[in-house]
Amino acid sequence: MCCLTPTCVMPYPSGDTEQPSPGQRDDQTDAELYRALQAGWTEALGILYDRHAGLVYSIALRALVSPQEAEDLTQDIFLNLPKSTAYDPRRGSLRTFLAVLTRSRAIDRVRSRSIARSSLERFQASQSTEPCCQSPFEQVFQHEQSQEVQAALAQLPEGDQQILRMVYYDGLSQSEIAEQLNMPLGTVKSKTRRTLLKLRQTLADYVESSHL
Amino acid sequence: MSGSTASERLQLLVAGYILGNLDPEEAAEFEHLLNDDPAIAEEVNRMQKTLELSYAPPEMEPPAHLRSAILSAHASQSLAPVQASAPIQSVTGKPIRRSFSWSRAINVAAAIAIATLAINNYRLRQALQASQIETQRLATIVYSLQTTSSGNTASATIEVDPNRLEAVLTVQNLPPLTAGKVYALWTVVEQDAPVTKDDKNAILTEVFTVDAQGRFSQAIAVPKVFRSADWVSNVAVTVEDAVAPQEHQGEPVMMTDL
Repeated sequence: MCCLTPTCVMPYPSGDTEQPSPGQRDDQTDAELYRALQAGWTEALGILYDRHAGLVYSIALRALVSPQEAEDLTQDIFLNLPKSTAYDPRRGSLRTFLAVLTRSRAIDRVRSRSIARSSLERFQASQSTEPCCQSPFEQVFQHEQSQEVQAALAQLPEGDQQILRMVYYDGLSQSEIAEQLNMPLGTVKSKTRRTLLKLRQTLADYVESSHL
Repeated sequence: MSGSTASERLQLLVAGYILGNLDPEEAAEFEHLLNDDPAIAEEVNRMQKTLELSYAPPEMEPPAHLRSAILSAHASQSLAPVQASAPIQSVTGKPIRRSFSWSRAINVAAAIAIATLAINNYRLRQALQASQIETQRLATIVYSLQTTSSGNTASATIEVDPNRLEAVLTVQNLPPLTAGKVYALWTVVEQDAPVTKDDKNAILTEVFTVDAQGRFSQAIAVPKVFRSADWVSNVAVTVEDAVAPQEHQGEPVMMTDL
């Protein structure tokens, strides 16, 4: 279920969305598969599912708690992927798009559930008292991070961590973040990239040795 | 490209791609770089992994039946996208949309929608035809590049189709380079051109090498600025390091004054 192989990174395809032959499937990038899926090649969905369902399901399960609801959301995410127009494979990775979309949809579902009222209130309370801090979901994630990752995150200024969370957890656009933080758009862009690059450099050895 | 040799600019582009915030010009530049050096894909993977180790929960395998449920539902949708007689079941056994059972209401709504879509389709076709006519007005532009050195007879032409943003680059008599070096083709734009450019007002357009006879001929993609050719002040070729041609360290070996 790992997508982090050379085969699932995007090199951008060259425009045409020809359907690959069965022997080529493992060589198709996410971007190529996404375009083929939108062009009607139904088998592409199975390949994308194999690469990314673990990520989507785990995010859904952490947010919704109920395995059945997590399955429903995972199904919803993948069934709507062929119709999605929100993802541009030239400008970003499919995995990040799916992660942000899943978290956003999961939070929508939690908000709409009356039985989750108390969880939502806790979430809102944590936001109102500590606008920079994580939701309960994110706090759970952080408890499971390795010591290496926790140490790397601890080296980042809180403001930099906050911007990355706003991108990855909240799915906010750069302009929305700029508005919320009263910060120039260009600064938001460079801060997010530099923060991720700093993490990459700090965690270089750990990333090499880890296997998702 | 290993992490240690990657330029910071390239790594920031990779980070922007992972975060999904490349602007169109950066996306085009990144596409070129990735096409030229597929090893950059490895760095993309590492950056993605970094983000997920830091911010995503550990992956869990979904139940085995979920895959077949999703693929079956997708196949049903693909085979009969407008037939609502067989409601798609969610994995929990409940219909995904209750409205599937309201067949009469759906039929009425579908009829209205079809009529609306037909009108919209007609209008869109008219708009598309007008747009295509407008686009087709852009004539092919041919740039001739001459050597900047009196020591050789190198020359090149680049024949640009602004409508398709494609060009044919043909080079002759350009000296072959040593290993680790490449030729870079630059689109040089006016200082106030509203595009993303480097500090020399240039956009990296293509990276290439020549054969033993000094020749190169290939179709290439060109930036959108060629649709407003007045912004293009020059087209030039420099010699750059193969691992980081975007650094734009070389002096022009061929160029054209427009």
